Amino acid sequence: MTGPTRSRQRPAASEPPLIRGLLIGIALVFLTLFLFVPLIAVFYEALRKGLGVYLAAITDPYALSAIRLTLLSTACAVPLNMLFGVAAAWAITKFEFRGKSLLITLIDLPFAVSPVIAGLIYVLLFGAHGWLGPTLIQQDIKIIFAVPGIVLATVFVTVPFIARELIPLMQAQGTEEEEAALVLGASGWTTFWRITLPNIKWGLLYGVVLCTARAMGEFGAVSVVSGHIRGLTNTLPLHIEILYNEYQYAAAFACASLLTLLALAILGIKTFIERYTFSQRRPPTGGDTL
Amino acid sequence: MSIDIRGLYKRFGHFTALDHIDLHIPAGQLVALLGPSGCGKTTLLRIIAGLETADQGSILFDGEETSSRHVRDRRVGFVFQHYALFQHMTVFENIAFGLRVRPRARRPSETQIRAKVHELLALIQLEWLAERYPSQLSGGQRQRIALARALAVEPQVLLLDEPFGALDTKVRKELRRWLRRLHDEIHVTSVFVTHDQEEALEVSDQIVVMNHGRIEQIGTPEAVYDTPATPFVYQFLGNINLFHGRAHSGWVRLGDLRVQAPEYQDAQHAPAMAYVRPHDIDLLREPEDNDSTLAATVTRISILGSLVRLELKQTSDGEIAEVEMTRERFAADPLQTGDLVFVKPRHLHVFLEGTESAASVPMHWHGDGGGI
Repeated sequence: MTGPTRSRQRPAASEPPLIRGLLIGIALVFLTLFLFVPLIAVFYEALRKGLGVYLAAITDPYALSAIRLTLLSTACAVPLNMLFGVAAAWAITKFEFRGKSLLITLIDLPFAVSPVIAGLIYVLLFGAHGWLGPTLIQQDIKIIFAVPGIVLATVFVTVPFIARELIPLMQAQGTEEEEAALVLGASGWTTFWRITLPNIKWGLLYGVVLCTARAMGEFGAVSVVSGHIRGLTNTLPLHIEILYNEYQYAAAFACASLLTLLALAILGIKTFIERYTFSQRRPPTGGDTL
Repeated sequence: MSIDIRGLYKRFGHFTALDHIDLHIPAGQLVALLGPSGCGKTTLLRIIAGLETADQGSILFDGEETSSRHVRDRRVGFVFQHYALFQHMTVFENIAFGLRVRPRARRPSETQIRAKVHELLALIQLEWLAERYPSQLSGGQRQRIALARALAVEPQVLLLDEPFGALDTKVRKELRRWLRRLHDEIHVTSVFVTHDQEEALEVSDQIVVMNHGRIEQIGTPEAVYDTPATPFVYQFLGNINLFHGRAHSGWVRLGDLRVQAPEYQDAQHAPAMAYVRPHDIDLLREPEDNDSTLAATVTRISILGSLVRLELKQTSDGEIAEVEMTRERFAADPLQTGDLVFVKPRHLHVFLEGTESAASVPMHWHGDGGGI
């Protein structure tokens, strides 16, 4: 009796079909308009004048140099932030010390500060008229309007990504496994490599992926410190802007499609990591039976 | 190896976790640290292990000061409440960990490690799980693996922090019997923390009852249960009925009940508390003369397996009392809700209120019919 009637009833916790359909519809329309259509538009515009123009645009020497610089600043920013992120998360979650909340706040600073202001800070510090500018000019070190400035700005903007990813993860894991390792006679170094790192590796990878995406796409801060010198201090996003301003739409969109492809690849990696960590997630510790 | 704890003191901010603890744990014994949460028992265990440092006091292993020794050099085995198994390692690698991380000079060969791990897996009877990961095991299996991992380094002292706390009742009972048998086999000095009095009574050689960072009583399970040193110990170990009254010139009066208490010969109308365990009470249909019974009404009868629990309301002051008896005994003279009965304690302890020193001298009274 109850079987068939129950199967026709909707579960107590769900909404009526009309409302459900409406909510899903709104979400789909929104996503299509604001995400999917622009995505298609990028590739459509990039290829509108044919494959030849597309290939020419991305093999242009200035474009190639912009790609190189983008990859270089990413390759500098990501390992640096990996090192800093792991160290900071380790310190914050496994130890008690003075100034801990200050450190947490500082990690969040790049999120709070507009990237343009971050770039300006470096100009004020290292620029020709900045605090350290004259000293640097004497030593013949160029930071602003040069590659080091771009790397610095990228590092600054991407600082929070890895640390922010690891802190909640390591907090949730607690220190018991590390304590167990210590009691069993492991040194701090061994404990880090053999217990802590394997436990955070997926979170770390996830942080690295996000950090990479941000590092490659960074515009504001880099724009301020770069000086837009073609072939020298132009990153891919800056190159796209220049092309666009010069009405070279096809070329601009071609380079934009490159960035988009990189972003999509990163998104793919991120999804894979999420799925993997989900399947690997440990079952709850309490309440299980023999 | 024996453990000596001398004047141990530990504070966390404004909270005193351990208030000058002195304790001797003889070699080869299985000792329970028993107390409510926040009494300092886990802190004490962690200080013995070296995972926490004391503010004052010292810990001696076999007479040798250990405070300056790093946790990894103390040779203790530690079992955590939530197992703390290494999630990314197989059961085999978990147990082998302590051997693999030894400095090269002292590290056993791969064959020796293999033999040792299999020996331990045989000891915990889980050889078939060697290649599994912790997440594939049940709670009881995980805790046994955690124990094997702790034993792999041949610890001088085994410390267990609420080892069965995260398990369900049935598994917990099985596992604690198993721990007792295991201890009888390997005889390593062991200290385990628990808030479960039944667990402490069943498993340990000695029980250390703690409260508010102090030790209330140390003794065998029998001693702490039968002759509690303080009202706290009485309340914490097992169920109790509390009667309020007054002690005067060697007698204690609790409502209609009057009992002899020679220890309180000098007391003059001092407020007193009497503790009676629910199973130490006889229920009579008729009052006995000479003030040895209390009148009460049966308000509730519950059958708990082999036991029957009766809730009584005292006629004089309306206080609730609890009585437990066997099913057989209950069947011999079945009472019903609303029946008038007369409560006759077989066994009770009297403590004077508010005086810690007097409370530590419990009166022991055996009712013998009309003796009073």
